[in-house]
Amino acid sequence: MKKAERIAFVTPRFSEGATIGGAETLLKSLAVHAAASGRSVTILTTCAQDHFTWENTLPPGSKTVNGIEVIFFPVDEDRDIDAFLRTQTTISSGRAVSMEEENTWIENNVNSRALCEHLQQNGDNYDSIVAGPYLFGLIYHAAMVHPKKTVLVPCLHDEAFAYLSVFERLFNTVGALMFNTAPEMELARRLYKPDPDAMSVVGMGLDSFDCDPNAFSRQQGIKTPYVIYSGRREQLKGTPLLIDYMTTFRSRTGHDIKLVLTGSGPVDCPAELRPHLIDVGFVTEDEKHNAMAGALAFCHPSVNESLGIVILEAWLAETPCLVHEKAAVLRDHCVKGGGGLWFKTYPEFEAELSLLLDNRNARDQLAAAGKRYVMENYRWDRITDKMLNVLDA
Amino acid sequence: MRDDLFEINAEGVDTEAIVAEIRKTVAEKTEQGVYADARIARAERSNLMNLRDEEGFLAFYLDCLKDAVFVDISDFEIHERRPCFGRLLVILKTTIWKLLKFYTYRLWSQQNQVNGLLLSAVESTESKYRDRIEALERRIDELEKRGGGKSSEES
Repeated sequence: MKKAERIAFVTPRFSEGATIGGAETLLKSLAVHAAASGRSVTILTTCAQDHFTWENTLPPGSKTVNGIEVIFFPVDEDRDIDAFLRTQTTISSGRAVSMEEENTWIENNVNSRALCEHLQQNGDNYDSIVAGPYLFGLIYHAAMVHPKKTVLVPCLHDEAFAYLSVFERLFNTVGALMFNTAPEMELARRLYKPDPDAMSVVGMGLDSFDCDPNAFSRQQGIKTPYVIYSGRREQLKGTPLLIDYMTTFRSRTGHDIKLVLTGSGPVDCPAELRPHLIDVGFVTEDEKHNAMAGALAFCHPSVNESLGIVILEAWLAETPCLVHEKAAVLRDHCVKGGGGLWFKTYPEFEAELSLLLDNRNARDQLAAAGKRYVMENYRWDRITDKMLNVLDA
Repeated sequence: MRDDLFEINAEGVDTEAIVAEIRKTVAEKTEQGVYADARIARAERSNLMNLRDEEGFLAFYLDCLKDAVFVDISDFEIHERRPCFGRLLVILKTTIWKLLKFYTYRLWSQQNQVNGLLLSAVESTESKYRDRIEALERRIDELEKRGGGKSSEES
């Protein structure tokens, strides 16, 4: 077996703190654990921090962060954003697009010629290149520089973009595919039929943490049960659905229950829910874990998740989850781990949340089952072994 | 909810059984009209995209919507929380409402008519095409069986 001693991790954004998206957190965590196993790791990323503007806010160049070399490259500033948004709208509406339109979309996506040039010139210095998530022009082009050395961590969702032929080409060109969960791998098999030997499920590990279930309520002066959601607030993440469901739940059942949100993005909240919405924005990891631990339930309304790190965190904080049935990955966690329930329509949500409110034993048993599932399946030593097996193959 | 679904200190929790039990209860309550509620139609607006492939969802959504299509134009009780001039303010607001009602009644009743007609049109379109698709599927099955091919139920 050839050992991958020198590994490059390519990710669209990198933050020294925890304020980046789930996929970027995954890539960063894999890089940190590969380095801790004695491999030489370099992270290649862009100077952008904001996932809406992709403005180059960090200086380009190399920096050592916790013993790992991180090289920042500027995002191409000459992209045609209007053409990109036009084709993006067409694609996301589910309408068929031509090859030319696909190319317009990928070429005017978030790209970095400087990063690809670095890979071209320094390809021999890396035994393996781990790149993800799949939805960025940057990752597509970086993977095509040394495709056989590239291990794609796609974070694939069943969304309109996944049906583009550029991604069929990408999934069938790279050397290996590292998925977060079995349902995600199954989706890739269905969409692209890649080489079965090239596919593995690795995922991401989580370290257990201490938390105080009363700290958040004490700090915020909350005296009633609350449901929590942590992450980006946007249509794709299902936050409007959660806001609507919570408003209706309060109105129909008469239960005094709050909704706590942590994370970034605007919230369009009806006036009747506003006094009962506690939006704390970005918080530290400790604060987030305390907020999760004190919640009646963590609700993840997104139908497009490839791992769902936050529900694994919620389980570690001993809080059960409510997820949308259409989120195959999250539902799979709930079936295998027994830590949460899934709903398809509002009446099911109402019945499940009422069950958690009225039956403390049920709530605690779901929470305990979820915690056991994460402790058994998402320990970092296991995940690191799985990842290194893929990279060394 | 059956008690045995949550046994004290049970090693694993059978979430599939719990969700199945919840769905059974929800189905019974739906039959009784417990969820025919305009508030639910509003809550489900973001869910329409998620469930566009679900056969029964549109019918359920339209059922909830029935309660929401008509704008409430009837009189309502006017309260005033401010202690000073409370009675006077109630009289003033009641007078303003009566004047507004006089000018807007025709407008709102026309809007209600349009809403009702639109809902009926959507319901009949949904029902018509559902029936036609079911008939076509049956026909395809028959033809495939006759030709020895795979039926749509197997595919």
